[in-house]
Amino acid sequence: MIDKPFAERNRGGAPTPGADAASQTGASRSDMAKYRQAFQEEARELLVELESALLELNDKRDDRELVGRAFRALHTIKGSGGMFGFDDIARFAHGLEAAFDRLRSGEIAATSSLINLALASGDQIKAMLDASAGSGAVDHSRSASILAELCELTGAQANEPCATQLSGGAPGAGDSGQARQWRIRFRPGEKVVLNGTNPLLLLQELRTLGPMRVTVDTAAIPPLREMDPECCYLGWDLLLTTPAAPDAIRDIFIFIEDECELSIEPVAERIAATPQTEVPDRKAVTGPGTASSIRVSAEKLDQLVNLVGELVTVQARLSEVASRRDDADILDISEAVDRLTAALRENSMSIRMLPLKSTFERFRRLVHDLGIELRKEVELTIEGADTELDKTVIDQLNDPLVHLIRNAMDHGIEAPEARRAAGKRATARIHLSAQHSGAHVLIRVSDDGRGVDVDRVRVRAIEQGLIGADARLSEQEILLLILAPGFSTARAVTDVSGRGVGMDVVRRSMEGLRGAVEIASKPGEGMTVTLRLPLTLAIIDGLLVRVGQSHFVLPLANSLECVELTRQDIRDAHGKHLANVRGEIIPYIRLREYFQIDAERPEREQIMLVETEHGQYGFVVDQVLGDHQTVIKNLGRLYRNVQVVSGATILGNGSVALILDPHRLVQNAIQSLSQRGRCEGRRARPGNRVSRQTLIQKGKQDRCNVK
Amino acid sequence: MPKVILTVDDSASVRQMVRFTLSDAGYTVMEAVDGRDALAKLAQPVNLIITDLNMPNLDGIGLIRAVRGNPACKGVPIIMLTTESHESRKQEGKAAGATGWIVKPFTTQQILAVVKKVLG
Repeated sequence: MIDKPFAERNRGGAPTPGADAASQTGASRSDMAKYRQAFQEEARELLVELESALLELNDKRDDRELVGRAFRALHTIKGSGGMFGFDDIARFAHGLEAAFDRLRSGEIAATSSLINLALASGDQIKAMLDASAGSGAVDHSRSASILAELCELTGAQANEPCATQLSGGAPGAGDSGQARQWRIRFRPGEKVVLNGTNPLLLLQELRTLGPMRVTVDTAAIPPLREMDPECCYLGWDLLLTTPAAPDAIRDIFIFIEDECELSIEPVAERIAATPQTEVPDRKAVTGPGTASSIRVSAEKLDQLVNLVGELVTVQARLSEVASRRDDADILDISEAVDRLTAALRENSMSIRMLPLKSTFERFRRLVHDLGIELRKEVELTIEGADTELDKTVIDQLNDPLVHLIRNAMDHGIEAPEARRAAGKRATARIHLSAQHSGAHVLIRVSDDGRGVDVDRVRVRAIEQGLIGADARLSEQEILLLILAPGFSTARAVTDVSGRGVGMDVVRRSMEGLRGAVEIASKPGEGMTVTLRLPLTLAIIDGLLVRVGQSHFVLPLANSLECVELTRQDIRDAHGKHLANVRGEIIPYIRLREYFQIDAERPEREQIMLVETEHGQYGFVVDQVLGDHQTVIKNLGRLYRNVQVVSGATILGNGSVALILDPHRLVQNAIQSLSQRGRCEGRRARPGNRVSRQTLIQKGKQDRCNVK
Repeated sequence: MPKVILTVDDSASVRQMVRFTLSDAGYTVMEAVDGRDALAKLAQPVNLIITDLNMPNLDGIGLIRAVRGNPACKGVPIIMLTTESHESRKQEGKAAGATGWIVKPFTTQQILAVVKKVLG
């Protein structure tokens, strides 16, 4: 039976956010905590949705669909908040929802002040959520002032939800303690069955109130050919003995009250209470609850990925042992385990993949707020928000993107007047896009502002001592100086950026993520920063190579091809570290020399050609052993300053192989060459990094001289 | 054979609560995130639909109408969840063919009571 206050409310009382949810619920306390947490997570997502709807609405004021989206977000926050005991949130959202309801019905128009107020309200709800999660306190006076402002704007009464009347219920309600007999006449409407009501169940429910005598009235049944088998033609006369009040009886018919004839009259004489028979409860059988999705804590996922990582390692050992034993049975099993492990790895990785959407959408607010602050008109367009990336990568992506967008807003984009003067649209555009590219994701932030003045960057970099005055750098290299620590071209330090700390964050985060940055700029037309990120940080596909007894792993994504290097080739190059690959001169680095490995050099060595930020380079190794699925293990704190190694992995035989970072390796090699001024007999200019081009130029010259 | 209940709500936390409550009570629960999703999931028979009214894509009223227009779902009870106690909204739902309603906020006991009431 439905409990009393609920039935009262179900009859049509006022909305009652959270009045009784937490206290009366049948759910256990831990269930409630679980629901509350689910709500908090959901509410945060809804706030993002609300914010993006509001910001879009700001551009398209008449878009009903956007108002609907905002309304629904608020409505759910209110409704669910009330359910799980977030009364303050429910009350606050209710006030806001009321305003949006009027907006939806067209009573009021979407003005920028209303939208800004709604944005502020979203922040306030977020603050309340934070407070309920135990971080920070809520300024309740702010809630009140927002609601007051809202009323002023919409010209409505503060739509405070009425307090619920949860007091005892209607007069005469409740058990009187003494059983009385009631005569009930019940004639359901013909269509009730079609609408899903089963009159039989109602009779059964009545029986739970007390013993009952039932008489069926078949008078309304029409002749057979006029009969619609989907209609209900029956009626019942009931004689019920119960201590329950008439309202309780009436409540049983609550859903079809206006679709049936119902009269409840007391039978004059009182009879003694008869003991009620208890209706046996439905046996609790937990069915296989089907769910489209479940929430899992990120920690559990990390654990899963770690375990899978261990499994991959063990699997590598298994296949090593299997191939050594040369036992067909074991090989068979090893291959099966191999396939399963690969599938498991793919699968557990894909679980951690998240679309970039929520990260990207967050920037709408940033652009909106910065636009107001800087008095610039900027629209943000987003492309490829469905692109998925590992959660750990996404988590670390926010900061660099914030800085890139701030930089674009502050430095890149001109004031509206300046834009008009330059013959551009007054409203500037920032385009945020993501796309897959092999094992990488490319994220681009482009603006249509004034672009970067390469000469000015160069001048500033020399002034700040970042490069030598006579350094010869490519345009790309100069542009990348923007990311150097402490670099700033801004004339004045603004609130937004220009303190010279921002862009350095981009560089550092990209290093942490094993990503790369490219900058392209066209003066007067804007600038594009491309972040190249690995899909995941936990596992990479690599190529296992050997130098002497040492093993190394090179990321497969960077590897191009493998060519042989004979002593004859070395002689042809006159000792220069240059290889001729199909007519192209490729500089190479000897890992044997670089890591000072003391082992005899084989007659034939192999060069792994690797694509790096600095162009194609070769790494000379003794032998390329083949591809190797690699779980990256950190080297630990002691080695964190070792740049050329991005981690380590455990091989099948239990030994350790270092995972090389080709970009860093090449960079280090170039730097150490130029520092020592020993670029194959050529004096490097002070403060300059020897670029690949100069190495090749030099090589070509040397070759010409030889000829 | 446990009875199958479809809960339709764009709020994941409400769906979760409904699902936990009802599957604890021995029902099989399916979830749909909005009316459109619900219609897709109705390809398999259900014994009861519990739907929110305010949802994207296809709202609760639209869903009720669509279900009532589908001969395969004839007579399936539909409970609407609503925060609006506005008589008009409820009447609209009733007119569309809803069997009953629950006013939010509700407790787990209340939802069980209503489910028991319409499913027996």
